Amino acid sequence: MIKRTPLVLGKKTYQDVTNDICGLVEKVPGPKYFASLISVKALFVFYLVVMGVIVAKGMGLMGVNSPIGWGTDIITFVFWIGIGHAGTLISAVLFLFRQKWRTSIARTAEAMTVFAVMTAGLFPILHTGRPWLAFWLLPYPNQRGPLWVNFRSPLVWDVFAVSTYATVSLVFWYIGMIPDLATIRDRAKNKWRKRIYGALSLGWRGTGRNWNHYEMVYMLLAALSTPLVLSVHSIVSFDFAVSIIPGWHTTIFPPYFVAGAIFSGFAMVVTLMVIVRALVPEFKNYVTIGHMEAMNKIIMATGLMVGYAYGSEKFIAWYSGAPYEQYVFMNRAIGPYAWSYWLMVVCNVVIPQLFWLKSVRTSIPLMFVISIFVNIGMWFERYVIVVTSLHRDFLPSSWGMFYMTFWDFGALIGSFGMFLFLFLLYIRTLPAISISEVKPVLNVGHEGGDKHG
Amino acid sequence: MDTTTQAPSQDVDQENPTSSGSPKYWLSLEQWRQDPEFKKLAEKEFLSSPLQSEEGQGGWARREFLKLMGASLALTSFGCVRRPAQKIVPYVRAPEEIVPGIANYYASSWSDGSSGYGIVVTTREGRPIKIEGNPQHPINEGGMSARATAHILSLYDPDRLTGPRRHLFNEERTNFESVSVDWSAMDKEVAEQLKAGGVAVLSGSLLSASTQAVVDDFCQAFSARHFCWEPLSLESLRLGAQDSYGRASLPDYRLDRARLIVSVGADLLGSDPQSVRWSRQWAKGRAPGPDMSKLVVFESLMTLTGMNADERYRIRSSQYLDIVMGLLHQLIVVQERSRFAGNAQVVRALQDYSGVARQMGLDMDKWAALANELWENRGRSLVVASAYEGPQARSLQVAVNFLNSVLDNDGRTVDYRGASDRAQRSSASDLKELIEGLNSGQIKTVIIHRSNPVYALPSSSGMTEALRKAELVIYTGDRVEETGRLAHFLAPDHHVLENWGDGEFMAGVYSIQQPTIRPLYNTRAFEESLMAWSKEAGQGPQRLRQAESWYDYLRNYWRSQIYSPNLAQLGGQSFEDFWLQLLQTGLFDASGATQMGRDLTPRAFNLSALQGLRRNSSSEEVKGFELVLHPTVGLGDGSLANVSWLQEFPDPVTKICWDNSVSVSIKDAQEQKLRQGQVVKLTIDGQSLEAPVHIQPGQADGVLGLAVGYGRRHVGKVADNVGVNAYALLGYSEGRCNYMPSSVELEKLAKKIDLAIPQGHHSMEGRQIVVEATLAQYQERPDANIYRHKIFSLWDKHKYPRHKWGMVVDLNTCTGCSACIIACQSENNVPVVGKRFVMQGRIMQWIRLDRYYVGEPEEATAVFMPMLCQHCDNAPCETVCPVLATVQSDEGTNDMIYNRCVGTRYCANNCPYKVRRFNWFNYVKDNFPAPLNQALNPEVAVRSRGVMEKCTFCIHRIKGAQQQARTEQRSLKDGDVKTACQQACPTKAITFGDLNDESSQVAQLFNQPRSYAVLEEFNVKPAVHYQTKIRNTDQLKGDSSKKEGHHS
Repeated sequence: MIKRTPLVLGKKTYQDVTNDICGLVEKVPGPKYFASLISVKALFVFYLVVMGVIVAKGMGLMGVNSPIGWGTDIITFVFWIGIGHAGTLISAVLFLFRQKWRTSIARTAEAMTVFAVMTAGLFPILHTGRPWLAFWLLPYPNQRGPLWVNFRSPLVWDVFAVSTYATVSLVFWYIGMIPDLATIRDRAKNKWRKRIYGALSLGWRGTGRNWNHYEMVYMLLAALSTPLVLSVHSIVSFDFAVSIIPGWHTTIFPPYFVAGAIFSGFAMVVTLMVIVRALVPEFKNYVTIGHMEAMNKIIMATGLMVGYAYGSEKFIAWYSGAPYEQYVFMNRAIGPYAWSYWLMVVCNVVIPQLFWLKSVRTSIPLMFVISIFVNIGMWFERYVIVVTSLHRDFLPSSWGMFYMTFWDFGALIGSFGMFLFLFLLYIRTLPAISISEVKPVLNVGHEGGDKHG
Repeated sequence: MDTTTQAPSQDVDQENPTSSGSPKYWLSLEQWRQDPEFKKLAEKEFLSSPLQSEEGQGGWARREFLKLMGASLALTSFGCVRRPAQKIVPYVRAPEEIVPGIANYYASSWSDGSSGYGIVVTTREGRPIKIEGNPQHPINEGGMSARATAHILSLYDPDRLTGPRRHLFNEERTNFESVSVDWSAMDKEVAEQLKAGGVAVLSGSLLSASTQAVVDDFCQAFSARHFCWEPLSLESLRLGAQDSYGRASLPDYRLDRARLIVSVGADLLGSDPQSVRWSRQWAKGRAPGPDMSKLVVFESLMTLTGMNADERYRIRSSQYLDIVMGLLHQLIVVQERSRFAGNAQVVRALQDYSGVARQMGLDMDKWAALANELWENRGRSLVVASAYEGPQARSLQVAVNFLNSVLDNDGRTVDYRGASDRAQRSSASDLKELIEGLNSGQIKTVIIHRSNPVYALPSSSGMTEALRKAELVIYTGDRVEETGRLAHFLAPDHHVLENWGDGEFMAGVYSIQQPTIRPLYNTRAFEESLMAWSKEAGQGPQRLRQAESWYDYLRNYWRSQIYSPNLAQLGGQSFEDFWLQLLQTGLFDASGATQMGRDLTPRAFNLSALQGLRRNSSSEEVKGFELVLHPTVGLGDGSLANVSWLQEFPDPVTKICWDNSVSVSIKDAQEQKLRQGQVVKLTIDGQSLEAPVHIQPGQADGVLGLAVGYGRRHVGKVADNVGVNAYALLGYSEGRCNYMPSSVELEKLAKKIDLAIPQGHHSMEGRQIVVEATLAQYQERPDANIYRHKIFSLWDKHKYPRHKWGMVVDLNTCTGCSACIIACQSENNVPVVGKRFVMQGRIMQWIRLDRYYVGEPEEATAVFMPMLCQHCDNAPCETVCPVLATVQSDEGTNDMIYNRCVGTRYCANNCPYKVRRFNWFNYVKDNFPAPLNQALNPEVAVRSRGVMEKCTFCIHRIKGAQQQARTEQRSLKDGDVKTACQQACPTKAITFGDLNDESSQVAQLFNQPRSYAVLEEFNVKPAVHYQTKIRNTDQLKGDSSKKEGHHS
């Protein structure tokens, strides 16, 4: 009989689990944490300044131009939306498939989803010429006729898709946390902590009825979230696929984008988990090498899907006989932006192949490096899609080049400040691992399982 | 009671002696008593100051703080809600002719150096906002050049002088401080100095007969001399005619009557002063068919004429004479044609030129065929040559004249009576004598009008030093400028739009120039100044001194010199009626020149003139490069350099804006290892200049080109230090400049200047964009070379029940002159963005004049395509806009709703033609500082930052015409709506109208076999169709080359 690798290491008792996870919220963090928090906060503040200046002065500060009407903002928006996908996939899809290994990373992955969507959501607003009027993209009764939005525009679909996704993810994440929040409330010795977590736990008392309702809702929400994994990035891909621009107008985009999103999302989870394991050593027992390896496998699988999409695009461009499309795909590979294309291919297709080796899959430093490469590669995938398609389309007279300015880099790098700042706050204020879900997968009482069969 | 009231007041007086006593009205007894405690309180003004504690001890009191907070909160939120009210006041007594909101149009005229335009000035509420061509004027027939349209902006130029000024010179006149001065004070001083004699007036060509008369009268008054000089002089035309025919007349070409036009270096369709006229004539002869004319061009640089040529040969500029003489040799000696065949004198003159074509490496069959063709088309051919000053300029004109005489073109396609005798009066001998006179001290006072010699002459001319020797220099320019800095007095002339005037742009065709706005500043007409000085000095003819004003003088002049002699033609009309009619139509045609087609008796060619045309064998050994200094279509001589529209005007040939550059042939660039934008140093005779390189396909090897008109130093904020002053490299000797100096050294520098080229790529990459066909192909199949895709749609077509606006652009007559760009910019308040942002791809012009090279790069020619919003029926921009800011109207236009636009730029991405422009910043604010904002067209909204904009098909004009028709209770007729670009087009290549009206011109052209839609395979159904370019040649230049085209 093969012994299953335990999902939680360190022979934890139920008490240990509660202490470990709640302890993170209850104890004052160490200087390492504060140093990290302050540095990402500085980046966050820098981000706010960059955004403020862009809003005050105009989009012209960024590198976008004619013909490249979309640039860093849209690239980074798609990038962050993609990042969010792993969270939903882990917490909802793997839940429905009863994948027990998901329990210890689901909460954090979901938090990542929420923060990534928040970060992403600012970009489309920032990228408009008049961000203060961006709310016009929402259909609401008004005195202008009433004037509705253009339901044919993929950007409107995008508004619905992303806002639905943000709402469902947030609710799912929050509902999942309620029993754990109640645990923190129950353990609280401090009045304020008791009040705050008490309010957040919505009167959870852990009764049978509570659990009954909770599990039902959780299941329903998981079912509701699951199609979102597919829909959000499909609709984001429609922003491109519905247009007539060669290089955008491609039917492969929805599955390609979803695969890419999961790919990049898992890479980001790996990146963050490595960081969290380093910052908070208690996590090593809950997020084990086994978890990391499982995620690396998914990265490899989705990386292959993405690689297939790249190849397929090229094939279709050749097969279609459409001269403009053929030119765009040729231009990607050998034109002035060939560097970005090959960077993308190497990062997304070639490097993840290292995960075929178990030694690489289970090496924390290697997987960290590879996950960073995947993150870079996926950002460049969007860069390639947005920039190389626009920069040389139909009429050669209008061809142009895209050069990122200080403000582009500021918005891109600063957005990590926002994301990481929220993430670090979360690690220390909310139960970062689902106590109620980890406990059932403990081997408590089955330590001698091998004896009993 | 009395005592109680008296006593305190005495106290107060003691305390405060200045006090005037106790108040008459009082609020309290304390006040009555002038209690010190009360006074203290009263001084505080408010019993409780918000900034003081109730105890009066610093720090903020709680209640005050709360009050302040409340107030500031309220104020802040209030401030965000409403904009401050700005009150406007209507006319108290409205001028009768001005209806607010309705434009008035005034016929007028404008001259640019030696070329004139009949114009119509659009004014709104008394301010001119647009200049359009006068369709009735024979000189331009409604067509405009970019410069002529852009000229409006110089009226509102913030850098204009606002009144007369005096320079506070030191001894050496090396400082440039100035103070403003009264006209009267200036007049007194000037008159004193004028009485001392030695007076000279320097001006450019004066196309105005009455201005000339004022100058003549003034010269008579003070025994002054009038010198005439301007840069880019075409004096060699006169001198050549003098040598050839004994009379120094200007030729007036009749390109419309010519079936074969051979141009040797003359850029008739591009930078020539009369390009609008020539383009119009050329276009008339280009109707594809058996009578279509053929244009053969020999030239060194790439020009618009060369790009439009049916056959183009690149030769060095020093070979121009060889070409013309070689053709003569081929015709007369080899083919023994014409009455001169066998004439010993002629044969002797031509003998040097046998075999020049072979030496130049031209195809001998084509050469012989060209001579044949010229002969076959004798009387209906035309040979023209570059007339800019150069070593061969005069000989070249003699040779060309001879060739035209040999071919019996003289009097037929060369009308020697049609050109205005007032044009091209610039004279090298005048310049020489002026400088000599100044240096010798004979000339003490110089009045400089419409001429900027310090800028436009090389330092070797010694103009600057000579002017410093003058006792009094008066400059009448509208700004200080380079020459004005050396003037004692700046006596700014009115702007053309503020001033009366007239012009004779064609012989016998008199145009009037009426003011369309009261002078903005304390300026005075040049003519008025001359009259004032004459009156002040008490010298001069009666008519000068007795005229009340310049207007008075002008009217008198017209009455006596134009009205009276032509009374018979006028049928006894009274002068007042004549004048009124003149102001309405803008011109009086006393020549009958509007009825073209007269044949004149050929002039007798003076064969002895050929003696001077022996071939200079030394021209064979060329050391270094030949340089051609040339004007551009946008800037010309540089006088309008401060007009931002013209600086941001992509040069029709190079597409470069905001810079001039050294154009180098591809081979030379390879040999010298030059890259685009690399800075090179050109040296001629010790004069050197650094400029960036532009690698120009189709340019002759061994020749460099550099545009003049740039490198202004003192013209204004826009143009100061933009580019380099190429005039500095002119050769100069004895008053004569050399625009084609040879032996130029080129030195490569390790610097790079990025050139702003809004066009991204210059080859069509084999795509069906501009379709070309030869005449033979067209005659076989009118839709030759157009590939029509099979298109089907799942959807019903849009319905356009009333009108369906559409446009047809005839690429066959579009010369690429780009006048439409500026007309559109002026009409639609399109901002400029500056060089840096042009390089970033932010140019705002609504029309992009695409220029694609075709053929092998070295021998490339080019095709043009004005690309504007195509107003697609199935517009890709419309479906993707999330907020419905761009929608299809039921009249077929694609309308942009600026105030609904949030600026997602999705529409711009999805536009296959990339014709949408985004307001990246608040351009309007930066572009139109007062008084430039006056030039804005109130019919067209200015766009705030963050919104998309694009061509509207001049929707405001459509609506205006519809309103007009409704008022007149009729339906719209074809031609009621003309777009701004259509109006300005010199060749009438643009047709606009209602496609639903089958009889309309546009509907007929729209579906002609020669018409096609760009990117029709996407079924976007554009409302703009283009018509194939037909070249009258045997073979088209090869497919678009893939080698050339990237700009770095």
